[in-house]
Amino acid sequence: MVKQAAGRQKVSHFETIQGRRQALNIINWVLLAAGSILMLSPLWWMLVTSVKTMQEVMTYPPTFWPESWNWSNYMKTWEAAPFDLYTVNTLTITILVVIGNVFVNSFIAYGFAKVPFKGRNVLFAIVLSTMMIPGFVTLIPQYVLFAKLQWLNTYYPLVIPAFFGSAFNIFLLRQFYMTIPDELIEAAKMEGASHFWIWWKIGLPLTKPALATVAIFSFNGAWNDFLGPLLYVNDESLYTLQLGLQVFKGQMSTQWNYLMAGSLLVLLPVIILFFFFQKYFIQGINLQSGGK
Amino acid sequence: MAGKRRFNYKTKEGLQGYLFILPWIIGFIVFTAGPLLFSFAASFTNYNVTSQMDFVGLSNYEKLFSGDQLFWTSLYNTLYYVLFSVPLTTVGAILLSALLNRDIPGMRLFRTIYYLPAVLSGVGVYLLWMQLLEPGTGMVNTVLAWFGIAGPNWLFDPDWTKPALIFMKLWSVGGGMLLYLASMQGISKSLYEAAEIDGANAWQQFTRITIPMITPVIFFDIVTSLIGGFQIFQEAYVMSNGEGGPVNSMLFYNLYMWQKAFEAFDMGYAMAMSWILFVIVFALTIVNLKLAPKWVHYEGGGK
Amino acid sequence: MRRFKWVPALLILMLVLSGCNGFTKGGSGAEKADAEAEEGKITLDFWTFWGSEIRRPIIEKIIEDFNNSQDEIEVKHTFIPWGDIWTKELAAIAAGDPPDVVINDINATALRGKNQQAENLSKYLEEDDISGDFYEELWNATLYEGDSYGIPFNTDTRVLFYNKDAFEEAGLDPEQPPKTWDELWEYAEKLDVKDGEKYDRLGFYPMFGVQTDVWMMNADNVNFVDENSEVKINTPAKLDTLEWLNKWHQKYGADNINSWKAQMESQQANPFFSGDLAMLVQTPTFYTQIRDYAPDLNFGVALLPEKEPGNGHTSWGGGFVAEIPAGAENPDASWEFIKYLTSKEAQEYWAVKNFDNVANIEASESAASSDEFNDNGKMVYELAVEAMPLTMLTPTSLVAPDYMTLVNPEFDNVYLGKKTPEQALKDAQAAVEKEISKK
Repeated sequence: MVKQAAGRQKVSHFETIQGRRQALNIINWVLLAAGSILMLSPLWWMLVTSVKTMQEVMTYPPTFWPESWNWSNYMKTWEAAPFDLYTVNTLTITILVVIGNVFVNSFIAYGFAKVPFKGRNVLFAIVLSTMMIPGFVTLIPQYVLFAKLQWLNTYYPLVIPAFFGSAFNIFLLRQFYMTIPDELIEAAKMEGASHFWIWWKIGLPLTKPALATVAIFSFNGAWNDFLGPLLYVNDESLYTLQLGLQVFKGQMSTQWNYLMAGSLLVLLPVIILFFFFQKYFIQGINLQSGGK
Repeated sequence: MAGKRRFNYKTKEGLQGYLFILPWIIGFIVFTAGPLLFSFAASFTNYNVTSQMDFVGLSNYEKLFSGDQLFWTSLYNTLYYVLFSVPLTTVGAILLSALLNRDIPGMRLFRTIYYLPAVLSGVGVYLLWMQLLEPGTGMVNTVLAWFGIAGPNWLFDPDWTKPALIFMKLWSVGGGMLLYLASMQGISKSLYEAAEIDGANAWQQFTRITIPMITPVIFFDIVTSLIGGFQIFQEAYVMSNGEGGPVNSMLFYNLYMWQKAFEAFDMGYAMAMSWILFVIVFALTIVNLKLAPKWVHYEGGGK
Repeated sequence: MRRFKWVPALLILMLVLSGCNGFTKGGSGAEKADAEAEEGKITLDFWTFWGSEIRRPIIEKIIEDFNNSQDEIEVKHTFIPWGDIWTKELAAIAAGDPPDVVINDINATALRGKNQQAENLSKYLEEDDISGDFYEELWNATLYEGDSYGIPFNTDTRVLFYNKDAFEEAGLDPEQPPKTWDELWEYAEKLDVKDGEKYDRLGFYPMFGVQTDVWMMNADNVNFVDENSEVKINTPAKLDTLEWLNKWHQKYGADNINSWKAQMESQQANPFFSGDLAMLVQTPTFYTQIRDYAPDLNFGVALLPEKEPGNGHTSWGGGFVAEIPAGAENPDASWEFIKYLTSKEAQEYWAVKNFDNVANIEASESAASSDEFNDNGKMVYELAVEAMPLTMLTPTSLVAPDYMTLVNPEFDNVYLGKKTPEQALKDAQAAVEKEISKK
């Protein structure tokens, strides 16, 4: 009798859960769709501007639908500077920075999260502190330092530091490592595993979503970096996309259509990458279920 | 005997720990420590980058506290910005990631759309926003007008400049969303299933399961956006032409510091400013770290 | 282990990438050094912010002409984005590895001289005194304690553009632009076309394109801080100006003003092109925008109106100098190149091709009669040349380089109705005096 009632209750629960889920999903979808319009409208403006003639850009009042869609602006933008060379340059820097950031920060973060050692908290506080000093007061001494290392006019100042950890990423990955149950680590240690082995075999796979985040953030950061290449690269043949875009922005006048076209073109690879990279989030591993 | 072995293991483990953080230690010593120490030392001088660097004692610090009204203005503007932007972006990012963490059609596209603004960065975006926020015919006020709302003068009204920057920041909340999304992937589905069977509704599941499970990342987000918020610079620099906007309402701390460093070439003064900011942010971060154990839940039992 | 099979592939990728250009120290630089050794030439690094499709070919043609004119010096041009170029220059000077010639802001030249960021050019000027070739106001801005630290290159001024068709429509003589502040007001009243609270056509608003300080200078020909470090903000003429400007602000109201101000400041849609704005203060180069974006506009130009008859049509401008950063390797060769850049020949070429004002008087005057300009072009350029001697600069104060951050908010407060003009000027004067006394 009791058993039966419980069984029936379970079924009805199940039904309502399904129904509720469905309703929630619909509300969710509508909310997201409405928000998407908000998110995309500034980009619409970019797109519209990018296909206008300069004459139309300068016309008052501005139009939200262009008189004609001049897709040839994109060709002209690409030809205004050696953008294919800049793409190669930017990719080179970006890929190296991403590799460095993902592996090295993960390694360091594991140390801060899972290996007890003396002075760990103090050192971690120092890691955080390095984020707190505004960049431009260290800009000059840092430049002098890289000059002394004979690294000016190379990509070394942009790439090498990525292999020595960055506070933001260390902190981020540390937070993720903290959520890995200690028992898991202890069990591996019991079997005689070293921390290095644990990091490689357990730490890295378990923090995949976080590593994907770091990868995306660093890709973004390096891809969009402006001040770094500006300061350290002198030869125009070593310029990056962000520097190249500046040819459209003068002191007195700006070629809005080309600037917007260029910005959208530069954006494109990042968007594509993100679209396909997402599966690393979805494949995320359940830490609570032990992460086999 | 057992005690000794344990001790040995601990030392060995400690050594491994140092090995793990060795790359950072090297990087810190080689790339960061020198410039930091230099800027600290130079904050007690009249350093102007090229021709002078004489010891002036505490006079830069004295001037800042005693006679520089712009120092206080910029500090006020920055605190205002941090006070609103940090909670708003944190809450916004959490809610958004909750919406984006469901299994519904088009999710990949939605995630991409919401992440898009975070990818756009640099001067171009701020110029874009200046056009969107243009009071008469800009897109923002045009859309507001459709709903019968008379939009403010945004970047031309000292009361609206900072809110405008905060809205702009909210637009690019996708970066934070990404963090939470990654962290939500780690939450076991079985937890939700169990809760559902217990009759918990979506909101209860969100507040009782999702939120506690992502507290480590919330903590991370708050600490880093606090630090980042205090460093707001480029938006204000571009959108006010480097001048600080109407009635200096966009003269943020770092913008003022930049003016001192690269327009007045009073680098010693700017460096003194940077260390005051450091002390403020450091103190707030320590408070955060101390409060963390009260609300941050580490599944791994982290200390 | 299977999971990380791609790791070796990554390592190989890294190796390949690090073989790229940016990792071989001075890849192209090394080649250049070889070329140099062969020909025994000195290579000069020349940094400018002229990277647009219009300006770049022009400066590169000038460089090419210089390179071909002699066989000892080879100049290499590098474009560095506007604004950031000077941050980079400062860092390079600090590191002892600066470029050889840089285009820099004329207004801060004396300050850079004081800080020894730029080389003192006096020893070259003793041999070739070219100081007389340039407009006096420009030349004086390059001096610190009597020594020059940069040679003026290009410059600008502000003139009044007006819509002739709108004049005719309003019953005004299109050949008689306003000459005084009173006329300006009177004309604007006639040109306004009001539709309720909004304007279909706005006659004139003095603070589109220029700020309060320009009109104050127009009124009494004195900068806020004079050469003796005396603060001259709270003066009767400046008070008149602030009251006059406030009258304009109240006439049109913030809502009507801000929208257009935003458009113009962000260098996009300009109501002057569409005839929605009848008069506008702008640089002479603005003509090129009319030419390209509103070719049918029937417009005229005039000197900036004066406060009252006989007061003087003082205008305001800026400009750039060519300087040798402190510590540059071959200052003698740099000087040769700068001399060429600022010579009549190069300056005239720049002036004509860019429709830009140049610092060299002779070049400026002969450009005005250039056949390359059409009638409108000539009209604007001739007026610009006429305005040049009346144009003042606002050199950065050596005692309080950033005092404008203290002054601007006081003006804003007046327009917002938060302070009276008297109070605002008094406060601004006091704030700047305090700033100077701190030094």
